[in-house]
Amino acid sequence: MHRLNRAEYNATVRDLLGDTTQPAKDFPIDDHGYGFDNIADVLSLSPLLMEKYSAAAQKLVEDAWTRGVFNSCTLDPANPAPCANEILSDFARRAWRRPVEQAEVDKLMSFVTLASQHADPPAEGVKLALRSVLISPHFLFRVEKNAPPGSTEPYTLDNYELASRLSYFLWSSMPDDALFAAAEAGKLTDPVEVEAQVRRMLADPKARALVENFAGQWLFTRALGTAVPDGTLYGAFNEELRAAMRTETELFFAEFIAGDHKLKDIIDAPFTYVNDQLAAYYGLPPPGSPTHVRVELTGHPERSGIFGKGSLLTVTSNPDRTSPVQRGVWVLEQLLCSAPPPPPPDVENLPPPITPDMTMKERMALHRSAPACQGCHRLMDPLGLSLENFDPIGRWRMQEVSGAPVDATGDMPDGAILNGVRDMQTYLKQDPKLTNCITEHMLTYATGRGMNEADHCAVVDIASHAEARGGRLVDYILSIVSSSHFRQRGAEEAQTP
Amino acid sequence: MSKKFKLSRRTVLRGSGALMALPLLEQMLPRTARGAPGDVPRRLAVFYTPNGIHMPKWTPTTEGPGWALTPTLEPLAAVKDDLLVVSGLANKPAFPDGDGHHAAATGAFLSCAKVFKTEGTNIRVGISMDQVIANHMAAMRATRYGSMELGIDAGRGIGNCDSGYACPYANNIAWSGPRTPVAKETNAQAAFDRLFAGTIPGETQAQIEKRRAYGKSIIDVVRDDANALQGQLGAADQQKLEEYFTSVRELEKQVDDVSVPSATCAPATAPILTEDPTAKTKAMMDLIVLAFQCDVTRVATFMLANARANKVYPFLGLSGGHHTYSHHQKVQSNYDALATIDRWEVTLLQYLLERMKSVIEVNGMSLLDNSIVYFSSEVGDGDSHNHVDLPILLAGRGGGALTPGRHIRYQEDPLANLYIYLMQAMGVPDVTTFGDDGTGPLPGLVV
Repeated sequence: MHRLNRAEYNATVRDLLGDTTQPAKDFPIDDHGYGFDNIADVLSLSPLLMEKYSAAAQKLVEDAWTRGVFNSCTLDPANPAPCANEILSDFARRAWRRPVEQAEVDKLMSFVTLASQHADPPAEGVKLALRSVLISPHFLFRVEKNAPPGSTEPYTLDNYELASRLSYFLWSSMPDDALFAAAEAGKLTDPVEVEAQVRRMLADPKARALVENFAGQWLFTRALGTAVPDGTLYGAFNEELRAAMRTETELFFAEFIAGDHKLKDIIDAPFTYVNDQLAAYYGLPPPGSPTHVRVELTGHPERSGIFGKGSLLTVTSNPDRTSPVQRGVWVLEQLLCSAPPPPPPDVENLPPPITPDMTMKERMALHRSAPACQGCHRLMDPLGLSLENFDPIGRWRMQEVSGAPVDATGDMPDGAILNGVRDMQTYLKQDPKLTNCITEHMLTYATGRGMNEADHCAVVDIASHAEARGGRLVDYILSIVSSSHFRQRGAEEAQTP
Repeated sequence: MSKKFKLSRRTVLRGSGALMALPLLEQMLPRTARGAPGDVPRRLAVFYTPNGIHMPKWTPTTEGPGWALTPTLEPLAAVKDDLLVVSGLANKPAFPDGDGHHAAATGAFLSCAKVFKTEGTNIRVGISMDQVIANHMAAMRATRYGSMELGIDAGRGIGNCDSGYACPYANNIAWSGPRTPVAKETNAQAAFDRLFAGTIPGETQAQIEKRRAYGKSIIDVVRDDANALQGQLGAADQQKLEEYFTSVRELEKQVDDVSVPSATCAPATAPILTEDPTAKTKAMMDLIVLAFQCDVTRVATFMLANARANKVYPFLGLSGGHHTYSHHQKVQSNYDALATIDRWEVTLLQYLLERMKSVIEVNGMSLLDNSIVYFSSEVGDGDSHNHVDLPILLAGRGGGALTPGRHIRYQEDPLANLYIYLMQAMGVPDVTTFGDDGTGPLPGLVV
């Protein structure tokens, strides 16, 4: 059972009731694991959250009622049952994302009786029933059945469960009427139909959820909101730039959803979206627009791909200096899925001593001198050092704070020598781990479940299948949604280790 | 409880987020809290601050009653006689596997249980002592809420929280069960609304009864829905369903309580909404005082920031992050920055203590006299991550459970034993062990 997280709750009530107030913004934060906040195992339900669900349900129903959302028929005080039954069965079916049984509707109808016992009009009873629909586990959780106990066969999801998996993956929301109809007709077992649905859904504005929720977490864009660069050293950073950087990365990623790019080109795609302010900040020719426009990065290869973006460069820095370690770890975790083990006890995150006459390169070299550190830092540091031409707020620089010229070279353990961001991009793109890693993150997000050793073969299969199809984002999505990982629940999901 | 009392209002706070509360009169106390005349309930407030404390400027140099304020504790001069500085306690279950000291120790902060190292699946620690007390309060039907969890930052929504430890360990100190963190409220307005939820001014008894009947019917129906799911789910999902049932049970209590007018404690103004950490913390402290005063709950926990928080506090003249400073590497400028942050944290505690001291209750004692306030961090020194000489400050008299005005030193006694003492002081029966290493109540806290 996947509890709806805050983003999913907001999007679901938007599509279910037309409510755009985002009631979940005041819910407690969703804990996350494996880099995402939609992991079923981690999404707990606390009494406080339940209280908030209850209060939100009451307000959602009242507001929707006032807006006339439930006006499809008129409740006749003398004989309210036919209309109440129509409202409730239709609403429960949509809210619970599956057909409802008459017994379930009858249970909801009992509220109409209850209201009349308290001398309230039938509308009050219907509203109580609607509230109960919204705090029922059928609404708050995406329920997926399990294989029968003792069964060794994995359970294949039914069409409605699949429809929800698709819509929450691509939209972070409930299925729409067209997807629901396809499920009803049993068409979601047909690969042709599934592909058509996926393409249709990606073309819908709701697919923006992939930008905010998948890319926002995979590329750390969400962390930009809480980044606090040191104002005395880096006063050039301000709220307009924060917003401009965020918009840039979002528009950049959105083009991978709609456009004809290979997904791995996210490393070095030669275009971006800037407004005049951000262009000047980056040292690009200003496009003559206060809002973002698409620009080719001819002559500015350093700004190509995700590493040229202020958002990523800022969130992987300390407030007062760059952190080659954080940047290196980001590459290893988010792009190669070969995160180093945590440091041994009591050396975690030791900043090298600040002596102004030492260059960053020299400071990082200290990592190599300690036997306990060098194993991992030989991998992290050169990747991070290759980005040293970008300061902690993403500006290009040729000198360090100390005045020494930036040295963006590093030797990888496999003998590769990186000099600057371009070398690092080339190095990453030829690494076979890249496409597997992107797949692993996307599959984690799509299924709401962390991947482990046992999933490795499936990840490799999905990645090679996606690349064979053309390697676009849509190819990865299609490869994932046709995989048994997406369409089945295995025994490993029924039983946590 | 439909008696009418003639009450004189007392302003207990002036300034931003001012709340006006009526004094807690004996007749208003829930039945269970009423004993002999002048008998008022004990309360417990927990104040958590991350990244440790710079101990050289914190720890008093002498033990016993004649101790002198240290630079970091100096803001508490006005309440010095209400303080019990406790040195030398150890929370050994807080040690992580490898690294991840902050998340592991924050998970163990109130549970004294070793945290299971995982990035997401199968999180497990242990019930926290505040929740043991909350369960007791709930069983006694003592207050409307068993406990109240507050904080400043909701938590990180990105990446990995601490060296392979899942974020729930870093973002929560209250655990209602080994696998269930109790989320904290970080919106002061929402917390305020919750204190007075279920009270609609001018509602008649008949309307209250109807509202309760409706609420209970909704709960019956959704509980039935959850029951219908039983049996079709695997083990992990059963756990989710258990959480659902528990939450519904709690909701049912709220619905039941709508008939108890909490209007005896009428709010004057709601808290001002701000993200300034100082003002926001003070608003949260006001809410704790109000909740205690109105006896809406007797247990409150507060997180000033989440584990391993690298927050920047420019208003203190500092440009670096707190966690980065805490890895001071014995550099003087980092020591100075840490002491500055510590002192700021202590001034926030000072605000809470002075507010509590200004509230006089029916037994003629102050709210602080009737309460225990516990201030600490998940580690001592933030560079070496030690878990054996924790910075602990108790305040208040706990209705006779504590003898403050002293500095006492222990020899690595388990922190869990302090919690056993506190749980007993709060009336939890039959608690003799706790966490992984609690063996009995810590001696010496009362003379």
